[in-house]
Amino acid sequence: MNTSIYAKPIMPRIVVRPALATVVLHGLLIFLLTANWVSMDRERIKVKPLPNLVNARLVDVSDLKPKPRPEPVKPKPEPPKPAPKPEPKPEPKPEPPKPEPKPEPPKPKPEPPKPTPAPTPKPAPKPAPTPAPPKPEPVPTPPKPTPAQQSSRDALARIAQDELSSTSNEPAAELTATADEMSASFAALIKRTVQSYWSRPPSARNGMECELEVQLVPTGEVVGVRVIRSSGNAAFDSSAENAVRKAGAFPELQKLPPGEFEKKFRRLNLIFKPEDLRY
Amino acid sequence: MEQLSLLDLVWNATFTVQFVMGTLLLASMVSWYMIVNRYLYLRDANDEMYRFEERFWSGVDLSQLYREGNERAADGYAILGMESIFRAGFKEFSRLVQQSEMDSEDLIEGARRAMRVAAMREEERLERHLAFLASVGSTSPYIGLFGTVWGIMHSFRGLANSTQATLATVAPGISEALIATAMGLFAAIPAVLAYNRFSSKVEVFSNRYDTFMDEFSGILHRQAFAVRTREKKAG
Repeated sequence: MNTSIYAKPIMPRIVVRPALATVVLHGLLIFLLTANWVSMDRERIKVKPLPNLVNARLVDVSDLKPKPRPEPVKPKPEPPKPAPKPEPKPEPKPEPPKPEPKPEPPKPKPEPPKPTPAPTPKPAPKPAPTPAPPKPEPVPTPPKPTPAQQSSRDALARIAQDELSSTSNEPAAELTATADEMSASFAALIKRTVQSYWSRPPSARNGMECELEVQLVPTGEVVGVRVIRSSGNAAFDSSAENAVRKAGAFPELQKLPPGEFEKKFRRLNLIFKPEDLRY
Repeated sequence: MEQLSLLDLVWNATFTVQFVMGTLLLASMVSWYMIVNRYLYLRDANDEMYRFEERFWSGVDLSQLYREGNERAADGYAILGMESIFRAGFKEFSRLVQQSEMDSEDLIEGARRAMRVAAMREEERLERHLAFLASVGSTSPYIGLFGTVWGIMHSFRGLANSTQATLATVAPGISEALIATAMGLFAAIPAVLAYNRFSSKVEVFSNRYDTFMDEFSGILHRQAFAVRTREKKAG
């Protein structure tokens, strides 16, 4: 009876759109997963180079250039005590191997990073000790008081004092500022440490440059070093690699908040140049 | 192994794990196909139902409506949902009404039976593929889990053979194995959501159909009664 209607159930054909949607969805998903994986690494690499810090770290060559930039680094880390000590050493002589790593990381307190003080990088370390820090350390540090430095010293002292007073006034500002400052100061710390372990081969020439990728784990240990961009001189490359391996670990990184670590330090690029170690 | 890429992990996975991943990918693709397919079908069925109900209650003559349906069918349109229930009932009714020995109760009974059959078929169409979604939703996490367990077993066996047991020797294996679980969940979650949503929609449809059947039998009942009394008076 019903056969005429039901003999051939006519199903509307819905094929093309679902098939398209399925393929597009899965393709997109796979693309995102794989592409993201790669791009994350790249991003990190770029993030790391913190220009300010980088330049601050001139080894022995030129004091003049480095000064302007380094400042931001110092004021941030520790206005109260710790900052002053660590800083002074690195600047005068980047070479001294051990002392450097310790001083910096101790206090996450860093004051609100003031943009103003920035101009004078070096002086910062010295002046700092005088005004605030009760510690003995600051005294030994000042290696070379050049006239220029001296004058800047006074300026710094003033700035430092300003900062100190301002910090007490605005505790809230501190909080927001800390993460960046910390990573900045840790970056500086890493640079200094690696620098101190680096012995340039005689074949190193000005203008050589090699870039390493360093993999860190949250405990601060170095788990991998790789030459990304060779200088063209094998001895130079391996000297750079050795410097990182000798440095071994930066336990201070444990103090970084995990997110910050992931963002900036999980993979880290170091640029080595004969005159100065670049971040 | 500077950076583990997801693709590398998949390529280098154990055969079993790869097989599991392949199965899950397939399940996911098929279930998405069905999800979209069902979504479109149910949407069309919904539109169609509203369109037909509006037409039906607009006071149009029933045989006129039936003829319209004929034309649409001749044009190659699929007659679906409520309309096909209507057509089944009306067709049966008009056949039975010509047999004068049947009284009005029998007429209605016959028409209802035809409509019930039609409604069952409609529900069948609506529910098609839903069983597959349900089984993807319930089994693919287990399949993924199986892949993961297998992969982890494998990488631990590798650990036993290596003299230097470091995390790095097992980590890639475990990471690769976990991808299988992730894929299982990826396939299962949309399937379960879609299954629940669609089956509740189908439920709504079948309620509407039932209601329509009752309403329509009421109308047929009046007609049957009118026809029979007229016949009695005439004869």
